[in-house]
Amino acid sequence: MLVPLTAIVATSAGRGWSGYIDTLTNPQTMAAIQLTVGQAALVTGLNVVMGTLIAWVLVRDRFWGKRILDVVIDIPFALPTIVAGLVLLGLYGNGSPIGLDWAYTERAVMLALAFVTLPFIVRTVQPVLEELDHDVEEAAASLGAKRLTIFRRIILPSLVPAITAGAALAFARAIAEYGSLVLLSGNKPFSTEVVSVRVLSFIENGSTESAAAVASLMLAVALVVIVLLDIVQRRVSRRG
Amino acid sequence: MSIEVTNVTKKYGDFYALDDVSVSLPTGQLTALLGPSGGGKSTLLRIIAGLDTADSGSVAIEGTNATKLPPQKRNVGFVFQHYAVFKHMTVAKNVAFGLEIRKTPKAEVKRRVGELLELVHLSQFADRLPSQLSGGQRQRMALARALAVEPTVLLLDEPFGALDAKVRKELREWLRRLHDEVHVTTVFVTHDQEEAMEVADEIVVINQGRVEQVGSPDQLYDEPASDFVMGFLGEVTRLGPVRLRPHDVDVVVEPGRSGSFPGTVTRMLRVGFEVRLQVELDPEFSRGDEPVSVVLSRGHARALDIELGSKVWLSAAVGAVTVPAMVAV
Repeated sequence: MLVPLTAIVATSAGRGWSGYIDTLTNPQTMAAIQLTVGQAALVTGLNVVMGTLIAWVLVRDRFWGKRILDVVIDIPFALPTIVAGLVLLGLYGNGSPIGLDWAYTERAVMLALAFVTLPFIVRTVQPVLEELDHDVEEAAASLGAKRLTIFRRIILPSLVPAITAGAALAFARAIAEYGSLVLLSGNKPFSTEVVSVRVLSFIENGSTESAAAVASLMLAVALVVIVLLDIVQRRVSRRG
Repeated sequence: MSIEVTNVTKKYGDFYALDDVSVSLPTGQLTALLGPSGGGKSTLLRIIAGLDTADSGSVAIEGTNATKLPPQKRNVGFVFQHYAVFKHMTVAKNVAFGLEIRKTPKAEVKRRVGELLELVHLSQFADRLPSQLSGGQRQRMALARALAVEPTVLLLDEPFGALDAKVRKELREWLRRLHDEVHVTTVFVTHDQEEAMEVADEIVVINQGRVEQVGSPDQLYDEPASDFVMGFLGEVTRLGPVRLRPHDVDVVVEPGRSGSFPGTVTRMLRVGFEVRLQVELDPEFSRGDEPVSVVLSRGHARALDIELGSKVWLSAAVGAVTVPAMVAV
């Protein structure tokens, strides 16, 4: 695993320190990085809330069609990403059947990322929630804790490791996403061009060093986020 | 009366978990709900705690009608069979939980937690996580946590059921001593008659959703109200028209008293100071029944010179506890 990572870093050093800085401070590259990291963070945040909520509903509630919903959650995993992109373009693109023309906007990027990352948190939280001991909630209730307090102090700390693991996966997927958003976002420089598209165009122009430079930065971002999430996880599950 | 349960019925589908149960549990006592698994005793305890709701009937705790109160407002302490620890909190935090919910000042919480951990002998484990404790220690922690909020009643659902035999025995003695110190009205559920007899002031025998009998351990043993209670609290055997305890069967080696049953010793087993016999009654008396079990002291058996194949005459001892034998038990 470390070999290809080291290779990336080595390649990115090919044009020296100033070349490295030049590539990254290029306004178009900066815009792409900002968009990708920003949208990925936003989508991860959205997923933390929505994913946990969906997992909760799937485990705790009884309603008609629950089984079907349980299967539907996995579709973004199963669908080839370019197909997902096509589906989204059909729904939100030009001549949208629901009257939402979001193609070629920042919203399109978020939509595509949200679509492909939805299952991560649902699928990591769901089994933990299923295993949760009901006695524990009853114990807290008989000690006087209201439902919200039980959720915050008893249930949430048990879920946090699963939520952060899911969030890390979702974030990693989001900053790397390509297939599902190329069609819908239109890849307009400074507006809807994400890092993966930028890297591809560097390579197409024969500038492997620049591609590697951007890639190594994304590597660093991914590392920082994983470490941050781990710290958050430790904090929250300790506090109780 | 601390807990008044009146006409409580609880059904799961067609199955009556509790069938019109009424029972009064006195203040300050240690009461056992005793009965076989699936008999409804845990359901009754959970209804008292508000963790389950009755289909009909009412529950009053210390004179307040609690039937419609949520568990949060009943001020009961509940201890679960599998401890129900808050596993991400330290032992001290677990115990403090109820006090923190009640917005007790920090210094007061600290003092109370210290006292309670002292009481359950866990002071040196205050900063550990529950996963670092043994089963018995976890249950003592759960007990301290339940006592922290100064509950009106303390309810324990098979509290020692998940522990091994030795720890179980230690903890039940310890619970008795604790109750003598703290004096909070305590109800615990058990299916172990020995545990109930040893610990409780009063026992409520519950079977098939109904209360069979309420009484002190001695009353239940000496004056069982039904065949079921008699059978559940100790060994029984059948002698002609009655059921009685094997040690209440009188054995003689010649026909004497009228109404005695002749038979032959078919098995003989010595266990420590006891001799256990199985006596096959003569065909005109046995009517195809099981052989009668008899327990004698070793000295007595020797004095009678009984051995395998001896002819004996059996009768109920004077003052023996007997209940009419039901047909086809």
